[in-house]
Amino acid sequence: MTTKNPLHIPSAFQADQPDMTPEEKEQQYVHSVYQAIAPHFSATRYKPWPVVEEFLKTMPVGYVGADVGCGNGKYIGVNDKLFMVGSDRSSNLISICSERGHEAMVCDGLALPYRSQFFDFAISIAVIHHFISPERRVAAIEEILRIVRVGGRVLIFVWALEQTGKRDFDKETQDVFVPWALAKKPIESKKSSETKKPKANSRPQGVKKKDRKNKNGDSLAAGQAAAEQDEAKDNEESAAVVSVVTDALNKLTVQEDHTDSQGISRIKDNSLQDQSSTATDSHSSSPHTSTASSTTATATTDSNQPNPEDTPPTAEAAAPVYNRYYHLFHKGELEDLVLQTNKASIVQQGYDRDNWWCILEKTRHE
Amino acid sequence: MRLITHNMLQCHVKGCNANNFPLELQEVVLEQEEAEMNEDFLRNMLTKIEYDALVATCLKLDINDLPATIPADAAYNDEFLQILHRVILETHIKSGKMVCPNCQHNYIIRDGIPNMLLAEHEV
Repeated sequence: MTTKNPLHIPSAFQADQPDMTPEEKEQQYVHSVYQAIAPHFSATRYKPWPVVEEFLKTMPVGYVGADVGCGNGKYIGVNDKLFMVGSDRSSNLISICSERGHEAMVCDGLALPYRSQFFDFAISIAVIHHFISPERRVAAIEEILRIVRVGGRVLIFVWALEQTGKRDFDKETQDVFVPWALAKKPIESKKSSETKKPKANSRPQGVKKKDRKNKNGDSLAAGQAAAEQDEAKDNEESAAVVSVVTDALNKLTVQEDHTDSQGISRIKDNSLQDQSSTATDSHSSSPHTSTASSTTATATTDSNQPNPEDTPPTAEAAAPVYNRYYHLFHKGELEDLVLQTNKASIVQQGYDRDNWWCILEKTRHE
Repeated sequence: MRLITHNMLQCHVKGCNANNFPLELQEVVLEQEEAEMNEDFLRNMLTKIEYDALVATCLKLDINDLPATIPADAAYNDEFLQILHRVILETHIKSGKMVCPNCQHNYIIRDGIPNMLLAEHEV
């Protein structure tokens, strides 16, 4: 599988772990990761995606909505003429959401605590792809449909397998680990200590730093600080990402984009020199702390500067790396899942920012 | 958590499907916080709210402002809408717990955030 990939490169997820239940896998490869990266993650999520913004802004005044998997709640305040309630599995993200003044609670997407048919609409942005089996993904959609009234609409975004922007994924591998590197320390150390960091595109850093200070990512501060790195954000998911596959490595080398301050640069470097450091022990504990390889990358970047342009020396000195599980959706797959529920029709669908999305309308409640 | 949100919640423990609403608030600390009034929202809410449950919950919290039954002209009764607004949108539960009247499951509210996560065997 991924023995040749350096630690930071997304790797194929080993679905075959008989000793773990789906719940345990999600706990380890999704929930605990978000808990750990919450402040940093939150600092990179502030710019609403246009499709979502449009969806919310065209809702009638006074409508009541649920944001299932709301993270830091960046969509909850988009339209103040609506009343929205956010929920997420991560209590750390929900704390941030709540501090921003939003209605927020901790719960599981497969067991929402709401009365049936209460909501006029719901959104689930970049959430369903974290469920580990097709059955659980359908169940998640059904649970969202349960809480929405008949005639109500639901907007769902999931990460696309076909994305070609920041990274190319192996089109054969839908279940992957995508690393998230915490770059906190580096920032501070960099600043204060030694060398100059080519400023390249270190959005995440700036953001993070701010975020750090505010502990829980005060929306304003974080937002402002991050203002410059906004785009990066959209590709947010991309922040630490890249492709799963080996051949992708080659492509990476050719990549032009600098947006991914974390993953990409490192990958390039690593692809060349990290082989040794660490095999992706995808199965061990969720938070992989790959200090070693990160360090290597940093060193390289700073000293050699192989490709000044797309080598944002963002690499953090000793950044912990966390692997998140994703199921990458191929074209039409989301719609298939929706139709399996037999309770909704598809009103609109599309592709945006590396995601497949669709708007459904609940047609019946059983 | 606002009182309106409490009115949306039900116990979702596996198999707990009857008499699981409203969750009973206990050891509650309340806080009033002003919010902008949105009549459209309140009118829409009137169609969704379980009014009897709301009134009963309020009485237990010593909030006695709501009439026992919804006024016939509720949707355009300014005085009523203002009371409703204050009660469901400006009254926050900062801490306490919610107990299912059926299975007795406890949901803890801390820092204004309800934890509705269940143990694995309860899902």
